[in-house]
Amino acid sequence: MSKAVLGKVLPNDGGTTERRVRWDRNPGQLRDFLLVYNRMTELCFQRCVPSLHHRALDAEEEACLHSCAGKLIHSNHRLMAAYVQLMPALVQRRIADYEASSAVPGVTAEQPRVSSSGS
Amino acid sequence: MDPLSVQQLATELEVEMMADMYNRMTTACHRKCVPPHYREAELSKGESVCLDRCVSKYLDIQERMGKMLTEFSMQDEEPMKRVQQSSGPA
Repeated sequence: MSKAVLGKVLPNDGGTTERRVRWDRNPGQLRDFLLVYNRMTELCFQRCVPSLHHRALDAEEEACLHSCAGKLIHSNHRLMAAYVQLMPALVQRRIADYEASSAVPGVTAEQPRVSSSGS
Repeated sequence: MDPLSVQQLATELEVEMMADMYNRMTTACHRKCVPPHYREAELSKGESVCLDRCVSKYLDIQERMGKMLTEFSMQDEEPMKRVQQSSGPA
């Protein structure tokens, strides 16, 4: 696995090659990418290989795998685009709600607890 | 990140991902080849042959997926760049 994928995505040229994402500066993204790769393999295997009567992949299975990979990648991209579009508004709303609730008197977390017994 | 830590990270990541792949493969092949009847502990001839073929096919598929992933990702380079720019630095 690694040579086919990591070989293409890791720069080994002292940082001169242009890459879509700089994996050496975004190691977390490389991990996510590789996890997606593993999940994709598992899912497409489950859906495209119904029986194990033969060792080699036949034409139908190959075509199914090609479509499966394409659909997964394109849907992943679309989901990411939608998420990136919607998430900032959601985060803003949450921040606004939090600020609104902490501005209300008597609900503040910093208010000191008044002990009636004294010390 | 200096080149040495990049290589180290790559090696560690590779080991982790290999282990993850192995776990997924064993789960998938077990589900496909070993029906949950459990009348005896030994594997039947059919189950053994199925498992051999399953591993062979799974690894073959893994290799193809790797190639298709890079191929399709290259195609979607422009839209992805826009997505990453709008989301900010990771």
